[in-house]
Amino acid sequence: MIASAEIAWLIPVLPLLGAVVTGLGLISFNRTINRLRKPVAITLITCLGISAVLSYAVLAEQLSGSPPVEHLFIWASAGDFTLPMGYLIDPLGAVMLALVTTIALLVMIYSHGYMAHDKGYVRFFTYLALFSSSMLGLIISPNLLEIYVFWELVGMCSYLLVGFWYDREGAAHAAQKAFVVNRVGDFGLLLGILGLFWATQSFDFQGIAEGLASAISAGTIPIWAALTLCLLVFMGPMAKSAQFPLHVWLPDAMEGPTPISALIHAATMVAAGVFLVARLEPLYSQFPIVGFVIAVVGTITCFLGASIALTQMDLKKGLAYSTVSQLGYMMLAMGCGAPVAGMFHLVTHAFFKAMLFLGSGSVIHAMEDVVGHEPILAQDMRLMGGLRKKMPITAVTFFIGCIAISGIPPLAGFWSKDEILGQAFNTFPFLWLIGFMTAGMTAFYMFRLYFLTFEGNFRGEDQEIQAQLLASAGKLTDEDLHHHDSGVLHESPWSMTFPLAVLALPSVLIGLLGTPWNSKFVNFLNPDEAKEMIEIFNWSEFLTLAGASVAISSAGITLAVMAYYLNRIDLGKSIAARFPTINSFLINKWYLDDINEKLFVQGSRKLAREVLEVDAKVVDGVVNLTGLLTLGSGEGLKYFETGRAQFYALIVFGGVIALVVLFGVLGATPPA
Amino acid sequence: MSETFPWLSVSILFPIAGSLVVPFIPDKGEGKQVRWFALGIALVTFLITVAAYLKGYDPSQEGLQLSERLNWLPDLGLSWAVGADGLSMPLILLTSFITALAVLAAWPVSFKPKLFFFLLLAMDGGQIAVFAVQDMLLFFLAWELELLPVYLLLAIWGGKKRQYAATKFIIYTAGSSIFILLAALAMGFFGEGPPNFEYTHLAQQNFGTGFQVLCYTGLLIAFGVKLPIVPLHTWLPDAHGEATAPVHMLLAGILLKMGGYALLRFNAQLLPEAHAQFAPLLIVLGVVNIIYAALTSFAQRNLKRKIAYSSISHMGFVLIGIGSFSALGTSGAMLQMISHGLIGASLFFLVGATYDRTHTLQLDEMGGVGQKMRIMFALWTVCALASLALPGMSGFVSELMVFAGFVTDEVYTLPFRIVMAGFAAIGVILTPIYLLSMLREIFFGKENSKLSAETNLIDAEPREVYIISCLLVPIIGIGLYPRLMTDSYKASIEALVERDLNSINRLNRVSNSPVNNTKLIPAFASNPKYTFPILKS
Repeated sequence: MIASAEIAWLIPVLPLLGAVVTGLGLISFNRTINRLRKPVAITLITCLGISAVLSYAVLAEQLSGSPPVEHLFIWASAGDFTLPMGYLIDPLGAVMLALVTTIALLVMIYSHGYMAHDKGYVRFFTYLALFSSSMLGLIISPNLLEIYVFWELVGMCSYLLVGFWYDREGAAHAAQKAFVVNRVGDFGLLLGILGLFWATQSFDFQGIAEGLASAISAGTIPIWAALTLCLLVFMGPMAKSAQFPLHVWLPDAMEGPTPISALIHAATMVAAGVFLVARLEPLYSQFPIVGFVIAVVGTITCFLGASIALTQMDLKKGLAYSTVSQLGYMMLAMGCGAPVAGMFHLVTHAFFKAMLFLGSGSVIHAMEDVVGHEPILAQDMRLMGGLRKKMPITAVTFFIGCIAISGIPPLAGFWSKDEILGQAFNTFPFLWLIGFMTAGMTAFYMFRLYFLTFEGNFRGEDQEIQAQLLASAGKLTDEDLHHHDSGVLHESPWSMTFPLAVLALPSVLIGLLGTPWNSKFVNFLNPDEAKEMIEIFNWSEFLTLAGASVAISSAGITLAVMAYYLNRIDLGKSIAARFPTINSFLINKWYLDDINEKLFVQGSRKLAREVLEVDAKVVDGVVNLTGLLTLGSGEGLKYFETGRAQFYALIVFGGVIALVVLFGVLGATPPA
Repeated sequence: MSETFPWLSVSILFPIAGSLVVPFIPDKGEGKQVRWFALGIALVTFLITVAAYLKGYDPSQEGLQLSERLNWLPDLGLSWAVGADGLSMPLILLTSFITALAVLAAWPVSFKPKLFFFLLLAMDGGQIAVFAVQDMLLFFLAWELELLPVYLLLAIWGGKKRQYAATKFIIYTAGSSIFILLAALAMGFFGEGPPNFEYTHLAQQNFGTGFQVLCYTGLLIAFGVKLPIVPLHTWLPDAHGEATAPVHMLLAGILLKMGGYALLRFNAQLLPEAHAQFAPLLIVLGVVNIIYAALTSFAQRNLKRKIAYSSISHMGFVLIGIGSFSALGTSGAMLQMISHGLIGASLFFLVGATYDRTHTLQLDEMGGVGQKMRIMFALWTVCALASLALPGMSGFVSELMVFAGFVTDEVYTLPFRIVMAGFAAIGVILTPIYLLSMLREIFFGKENSKLSAETNLIDAEPREVYIISCLLVPIIGIGLYPRLMTDSYKASIEALVERDLNSINRLNRVSNSPVNNTKLIPAFASNPKYTFPILKS
């Protein structure tokens, strides 16, 4: 029997084939293919299913101790430059493969229910398969350049999927914003990759790290250049993993269908940045200062996301800022030199955040039957409440997700977040403090989301609130929005609740793989580190830190219970009204979107218009003036001769004279 | 038979002969018969060039192949010399390929169809000749000959401002091509013996540096108009803005590449010492092209002009590649020409197809047409993504090669490389901004009730899908496996770059300048009179 790692290239290729076939079908026989919903869905789910089986086989093989597998071929060459491409299977990649295929498969099943009434059902599945393929390709890339290739491709899929409902103005803007902001990061990433190639003649992770180390010690590359290159490369992960200040695209990307928010903008693609930093660990570990920058960026992001999430009224946006915050935790871990801890949080977060997003999708799906397909209404928590009674499965899984992300033991989030905070405590105590406080905020805003959505009384039929919301969004109350009024809240179909139930399992249990006294996860990714961990493990330190984390999380939860469940405290009056500046600062998302709009969007528009002015008036003006003059002389000439030959002769004559003069001036007679 | 069969002469003369038959095709004036005939001729021409590539061309050789030589006017030194090496062969294939598709794109032309197809076919032969001839005087003739059909195609079938655009085009290109003639005469009459304009002969001449610089300047202006290089570009938005879709495809797909090809062929290959002096300027101009044209494209409200400026922006990479003195960068320039030929042609075809439906090119009047034209939307999206250098498509590979070639190239000092690569990479951000906002303004949003009511927004028809698919196959093919294309010219480019590098070294030896080995300090090349301080010895 052949080793599954040998055919691991099939993992991204299978969904790609499926996507290509249906994509071509959509372009050639649009109507027919659009009618073949079930067959297309089944085909694509099968393709991805086989990939998932293969991924698990690969994971099992790696777990049993097989060595990493790498296969390369020459993709491009010129001069003495050759560029190999291929694939690499190692423990890190195997974990990601299993994770991505699992969640992608569940999201596909979920989409069958969620997109059932959508005209673009087939197109949606095609994009999903295409995305899965690109993401899986990214994971098994053996070098930076191949990662860049798939990096861009997942970005493209994100663009296509955010803009999936292209008749919505908001989706159109969000899609473009997502792509352009990511390109800003890619600008740095590309320059960094090129610079590292210049410095080390290599694209692969190990080669770069070793090459750079020896170049620095040999003195051929100054240290500032090496640091610059490392930070340039980090710009890519900053954009992709929504780190401050390039996080602005992620909340807007929630305009896409909710399964996409779960798969791409919570569980997989946004984690690609974290994954890349983990891949580059041999490089980054050489430069503590780079690690510090990463940790600071991660901490700022972590705090910023949580603080904005406190005031969000849109269910999906709240979750989106929570994702931003959690990605910040992962980056913090990377910066602390603990990539394994970051990867562990990536894995646990992927499960519970995918579940939370899919749960929010289930809620929105139900709300749409009541308030219509207007996202401003269907996603606003002011119109929700009391949904637990109508949608028990969604409510229970969402609740599990909330506990998991809040860091209550023994659920998944506790172990991974605590691991990161522990690392931060030992490396950068100040950053730990911020991360620690953020943990409390996390617990508070998550339970705020839960209580506003699932507890209390249902407010969805309140026409007054609806009108208010529409008015504040600048939309007039549209008569045809109300034709859904008669709808009744109901639990979602099995295709949507099944993935929720499946995801609940790892959300509860997977953390147990990473208990600090016997971390199977660390042991798998980095056995040396695991041994060291066991050696230095100290119950009293662990219990103190963990106790503190649990305490602050509990405090956050208690506050949320008091404010939103028991209604004992009115936070609006007691805090928001007292500190209006802070409140509006948070509601306006730290004003970052406004700054972007003013500075970059308007600025680049203005610059472009000015350049166009110059082009039309100055550059072309000179040309037209010359044209006018020659036309004048031509008009004059026309009376002596006719036709263009004379015009030619004139220029030839002038040219020859000019040449003679030039030769004379320069004295550059051609040597014999 | 492959050794003796005159493949290239046939591929030049066959479409021209075919075009001469066009007036005699029985046709009722609507072009229904003529277009089939033209398509046949164009397809056969394409097959001839493919056969030439397969039968008579060995990509592993760097020198001239498929050569034919016939003394034409010996007194003048003019000979019918054709041949192909790695620089010409891919572009010959590109020409016959794009022309065949342009003929198919011209299917709906019903105004004076005979003249139209006559001109298209004549242009086909003329353009293949530009790439295939191996004699500089003959090159000049072919270059001039191809202007006439373009002029007429613009002036007769163009948009509202067609006269202005056509006149501007002819004055610009004809005016600047005088420099080609001057340089050809100067180079051909150089030295002892009867005048000889053949490239192989010219390549062996030992031109002085001053002489080279003079010729180089003239040629740079002539080819810079064609490519175009900012600020010599203003004919292009007008010409492209007025041309009909098939002409457009030819302009963007092939005509611009004549400039890039000629820069490689004459400036880089025949005048290596001047090239060493001018290369930094080419790089700077390339960067200016990229950013300047990307910004103007962003501000443009007219769809055709927007895409026209995007072409200029993409040509900046060709300039950087040519100036890079590295095999990788120069290969990238070559690949960028081919890639843009395909992508530019597809975008311009789509512009034409969209205009046929919306009857407007103003972005302000469009919007929301994606509801009715879904396949068109999909095709546009794919081509726009190709144009913004998405990996998996040819544009990415060529831009990457140019970047990597330039950055790793030890000829330039490090600060110069950092600054230039940094600015060029800004194009990576600007390109998606203008292309994606263009897509958004055409297709996204609520259904456009005004356009839907006034015009017939039918979706793409099979002929249109077919044309775009034909262009996408090589775009994606090269993107997935670039060696499909790069291997066909690798040897020639490597030889060319080596020659250029040698000339830099020679310059340094002649002037006895101290060789500066430190990597980070700017060093002067030998001849301070013509050099830029950024060239490193």
